[in-house]
Amino acid sequence: MRENKPGVWALTHAKVYIEPGSILDDATILIRDGLIENVGRDIRIPKDATALDMSGKTIYSGFIDSWVEISAQTEKIIPHDAHWNHKVNARRNLSGQYEPQKKKIESLRKIGFTTAHIVPDSGIFQGQTALVQLNNEGTVLESGVGQDIAYEVDGWGSDDYPNSLLGVVALLRQTFLDANWYGKAIEKTSQFPQDNPPIKNNKDLDILSSWIHKNRPFIFETNHELSTLRSLNISNEFHLNSWIRGSGYEYRRISTIAKINPFIILPLDFPTMPDIADPYEELSYSTSELKHWDMAANNPALLFEEGIPIAFTAYGLKEKKFRKNLNRSVERGLSETKALAALTTIPAEKMGKGDQLGRIKKGYLANLSILSGNYFNNKSKVVSVWIGGEEYPVIPKYDIDITGEWKVTMGKKWYQLELKKNNNSYSGTITRDTTKLTLSKLKIGGNFISWQVILDSTAGPSRFTGHILENRMEGTAHDMHMSWNALKTGGIEQEKKKKEVESPSNISVYFPEGSYGWEKENRFNSKNILIHNTTVWTCGKKGILEGVDILFEKGKVKKIGYGLNSGKGVVKIDGIGKHVTPGLIDCHSHSAAFSINEGSQSITAEVRIQDVINSDDIAIYRELAGGLTMANILHGSANTIGGQNAVIKLRWGVTPEKLLYKNAMPGIKFALGENVKQSNWGDDYMTRYPQTRMGVEQILRDAFTSATEYKYEWNDYIDNPKKWKKKVPPRQDLELDALVEIMEGKRQIHCHSYRQDEILMLTRVAEDFGFTIGTFQHVLEGYKVADRLKEHGAHASTFSDWWAYKYEVIDAIPYNGALMTDVGVNVSFNSDSNELARRMNTEAAKGVKYGNLSEEEALKLVTINPAKQLNIDKWVGSLEVGKDADFVIWSDNPLSTNAKCEQTWIDGIQYFSLDADKKLKERDIELRSQLVEKILSKKSDEKGKKRNHSDKKSAIHHHCLEEQ
Amino acid sequence: MRFNLIVILFSCIVIASDQIPAPNQDHPIIISGATIHTVSHGVLENAEILFDGGKIISVGHNLSAMYNIERIDATGKHIFPGLISAGSTLGLQEIGAVRATRDYAEVGRINPNVRANVSYNPDSELIPISRSNGILLALVVPRSGRISGTSSLMMLDGWTWEDATLKHPVGLHIFWPSMKIPKTDQSKKKDKADKDARLKSIQQIDDLIQESRAYLKLKESESTSFKHDLRLEGMLPVLTGEIPVFIHANEIRQIEAAVYWTDRQNMEMVLVGGKDSWRTTTLLKERDIPVIYTQTHSTPMRRFENYDQTFTTPFQLFKAGVRFCISNSQSTFQTPHIRNLPYHAAKAASYGLPLEEALRSITLSTAEILGVEERVGSLDAGKDATFFIANGDILDIRTQVERAYIQGREIDLSDRHKMLYEKYKVKYQQKGLLKVPVSE
Repeated sequence: MRENKPGVWALTHAKVYIEPGSILDDATILIRDGLIENVGRDIRIPKDATALDMSGKTIYSGFIDSWVEISAQTEKIIPHDAHWNHKVNARRNLSGQYEPQKKKIESLRKIGFTTAHIVPDSGIFQGQTALVQLNNEGTVLESGVGQDIAYEVDGWGSDDYPNSLLGVVALLRQTFLDANWYGKAIEKTSQFPQDNPPIKNNKDLDILSSWIHKNRPFIFETNHELSTLRSLNISNEFHLNSWIRGSGYEYRRISTIAKINPFIILPLDFPTMPDIADPYEELSYSTSELKHWDMAANNPALLFEEGIPIAFTAYGLKEKKFRKNLNRSVERGLSETKALAALTTIPAEKMGKGDQLGRIKKGYLANLSILSGNYFNNKSKVVSVWIGGEEYPVIPKYDIDITGEWKVTMGKKWYQLELKKNNNSYSGTITRDTTKLTLSKLKIGGNFISWQVILDSTAGPSRFTGHILENRMEGTAHDMHMSWNALKTGGIEQEKKKKEVESPSNISVYFPEGSYGWEKENRFNSKNILIHNTTVWTCGKKGILEGVDILFEKGKVKKIGYGLNSGKGVVKIDGIGKHVTPGLIDCHSHSAAFSINEGSQSITAEVRIQDVINSDDIAIYRELAGGLTMANILHGSANTIGGQNAVIKLRWGVTPEKLLYKNAMPGIKFALGENVKQSNWGDDYMTRYPQTRMGVEQILRDAFTSATEYKYEWNDYIDNPKKWKKKVPPRQDLELDALVEIMEGKRQIHCHSYRQDEILMLTRVAEDFGFTIGTFQHVLEGYKVADRLKEHGAHASTFSDWWAYKYEVIDAIPYNGALMTDVGVNVSFNSDSNELARRMNTEAAKGVKYGNLSEEEALKLVTINPAKQLNIDKWVGSLEVGKDADFVIWSDNPLSTNAKCEQTWIDGIQYFSLDADKKLKERDIELRSQLVEKILSKKSDEKGKKRNHSDKKSAIHHHCLEEQ
Repeated sequence: MRFNLIVILFSCIVIASDQIPAPNQDHPIIISGATIHTVSHGVLENAEILFDGGKIISVGHNLSAMYNIERIDATGKHIFPGLISAGSTLGLQEIGAVRATRDYAEVGRINPNVRANVSYNPDSELIPISRSNGILLALVVPRSGRISGTSSLMMLDGWTWEDATLKHPVGLHIFWPSMKIPKTDQSKKKDKADKDARLKSIQQIDDLIQESRAYLKLKESESTSFKHDLRLEGMLPVLTGEIPVFIHANEIRQIEAAVYWTDRQNMEMVLVGGKDSWRTTTLLKERDIPVIYTQTHSTPMRRFENYDQTFTTPFQLFKAGVRFCISNSQSTFQTPHIRNLPYHAAKAASYGLPLEEALRSITLSTAEILGVEERVGSLDAGKDATFFIANGDILDIRTQVERAYIQGREIDLSDRHKMLYEKYKVKYQQKGLLKVPVSE
């Protein structure tokens, strides 16, 4: 039988929000065949419309949940047209897969949602999202709303590329390049079919290519504010129209995000209250985690204040929690109008349905959320939702509210009946004369009511049953053999429970957030500084100068001399008894990165540390406190050709971008020996090529041979435009690009190495391909082939005294640094460890102990020598006029174990001092105790709570040694 | 300059020898002119030390000359008692990554019966490397499971492990279970399960103690039901109070749990690790629990802790009156690097610990905690003549150790590193890249 439900309705006497900020009282909404025919105050109800009285109700345009994850199936892969990487699923179109799940859609309707932006849940390119109605049919309103992108990291346990964040970003970048190339290539082949072999069909690239071309949105799923900044960088590089699936941490870098002003789909999963009843457990909470608990609910209001368009989602939250958290944000200053916009007009417009969704207007879809009151009051209930003109009750219609006071008449007697409702269960009392009797076994369901009570103290209990009519009840008191009726005489004054209204958090963000962060994001103005009468280790031609003055101006060394005069506004520091050295430089570090190894393949030249910088890593601060000002952040040594390094200045407090030192020569990590052979990884790792040093050499030769061919093709393309006019241009390959840059001398190799044979081998391979190795890292047998290093022109960055942790370092000696220096190699000492990086000055002293370097030479091991290795000695590494004002003030000779770092400056800005540290410490202790007090004095209303937020973590420290 | 002459002779030997263990001292020796860091009674300038038969006869000024005495002039030099490493796997491992060379971890959770010194390889290349920087004594500790075995204090010279053993057993080592509630997305239920796991692991030790006491009772009463059990036998020295338990614990909850546990079991305890010990100094002081602090060269446990927390902890222990010594990290990765022991103490000194306390924390304090203060740890008459001569303060990295004695036997200070250094200097001298020095 055909079903044709009537579709013409008039909802009357309602309070109607026709759009955010625009309210009509006592208004009527006309619905015809799924659309809104009219809305207004004085509307004639057409003859064919059935009026539904909505007195007392508030009607909103149906809410849109902007992020509903649907478990996506991987479409059947047809090998001939699929992307090579199983994480690239751009072709996946969720609208074709969507099947409404009853439980899921009902739970969303319960909190007023009528429409959902559905997104896939797996992959890196996860596929195309869609906008659907939350009706039982699952009507698709729009398919291909956005391309969903996630930083999905499988971790070390996975053998598939990519298994790290480094690799994920590289795959994203390569895929965007490929998509652009693919678009052009297809064009070329169809234009000149006789000049080109057919291009291998690739549906994923095809879709991405048109997506970029048509400026359709890519949505990046982020998990903290730094991943937002990373996403915006990628968007900028490839000129993408990007949206952000927010994390709730945006407030921490709000000004940077506001500059780009992306559309943010924002979950409201604020952290649960820290469980610190056990004071020892409190120790497991970082200060930033405690702060986030206090500040998270401010985030939505703050984003609006900054003019960032946002849409809300209940993603990650249970029904009640969503409204509760939404209201917490409203209490903290988010206007109801804006909150409403984030649920209606903003997502509707962003998702291309601004003319059909988000408002109650003529011609719009009849999507409505009907409430018993204001949505932003927890007490108001969602009564029903209308989706495309069809009503979906939320509260069963048979639920009749009968709370209030009633006059019960039984024969000639009357009593007062009082019915109350609390948490969906009724309670009642009946008053006879002045005695209040509690009704037992009170049951109310639909129109039926029953209870038991002893009205007559001389008799037993009597069972009452009754029927509820409008404002009237009638029934039988069975055991008294009487009938009763009741009339409503009044409502009950709801006892107003004093609810604590939240106020915005009064604490502010630090930069970076958490302990030891600065209070201002822009404290970074350099000062002019004069240090008087001190010992300056110039690490330059002038050697060590005693009793001298040094003046820094505009972030540079201005003058070194005796009796210097200071101008106005110069910070004067008494240098008597102190030693001033250049900022220390660590040529081998793994600090400040979210990810270190992309270990799934033997060659991963395309991955870049700069994509995964964690500017919040506390290691930065601790290293500053040891006089370190720069570090070479290297990829790990799990593969022969690892990723691209990043040279940073330890500018504690800035964003990842601003940590990067732009003058540094691009570099890349290589590795030889046991790690790349997986020698110490156990018996499960015996199949990846190479497993011998012979194979390592071949991998290298193979890589550079293919890079040579690649380079040849590109050169040909650039040099002979005529020849290529009709041909598909070469495909850009980020991995080979990096190798070509090496061969062209634009990118230098930092090669993890131990044994003399492999060191010699690599210099020969490099020479065969016409380039020079930048530095050998660790290079613990460098002393055996120092002459070869010198002849080849490579630098050596070594440990001061490590040895014997694995077989290939059995011949490592602490004299390595000194002996290589004596033969004429430029040597540095490095840390390869967040711990050791805090005391590089005393590491340098080992150059004196083992091999008898002069003190001056020894300090150079951690200053000018590593600067030379990174090709930045023009700007840093020594205190000479014109160079960067990167310096450290020590309490004593820096090579002495008595020396304590007192101040560390970079570019004329103080980043550490004992005084400032003391103040920060005191501030943090005070702040923590405030927060703890606040938490302890609050009652927790969360049961079985999970700790749903914690700090971002840097990579587990996979340094070159796999220390257990 | 007789002293210098000896040094020259000595460096010639470097290339030829393979660190032959020294013969017993057969004549008295006086070393004079040195700054003597007695540790027990201050620093004596321009002083003398007289030793014979492996023992110190006297330390002071103008010591009476005897017949057949050898005099060594050490003017300008410094004499220190041999430094004591309070825990490592020295001699039990050669190359950490090579399984065949690892002998510190027996299989199983409960191994009270295994003894460290029996697998101490006196020919390990790591030993001469360590003593080259004044580490003359080292506690060697098995590491595996919950109860790893008994440790031995070794002298870093000798033909066999028996020659080298100064004391065995020193302590029974317990690695305290983690008391942390895992910081992940876990439900209450899971938390409870974890708590139970923690309680169970403590119960496991409790059960073992109870069994051991029952075993001891059978044994002492010469019961006919008594049968030998080597594991339980291994527990007896702790029960009889012969040796303390060395409990390895770093986190505050572990430390406190361990202290109250030993209290309940009526055992003597030494805390090893002690990263959080500064948080509970009152308890440690009250119970007189000594701490072997191994964490100077580690990063703070928590993000919000002071950047220098691990450096200042020794000073905090000192100020609070807690007995402590400083040890190198006991990570097996660090075993080849225990020669850096003095720099752990030096770091603590630059962050508050008085210098003389810093030196004490790697000599006499260690000896006291290991129960050998009557024999080593300071330069006092009657103690072993185990000391070394250096050209400066041993806490300073630039200082060189020039001669060393263990029980009066002058030990060969050459090592693999010096030999390889000498070897490859020759390479560059042959190639004209390095000048052949006129004198060393």
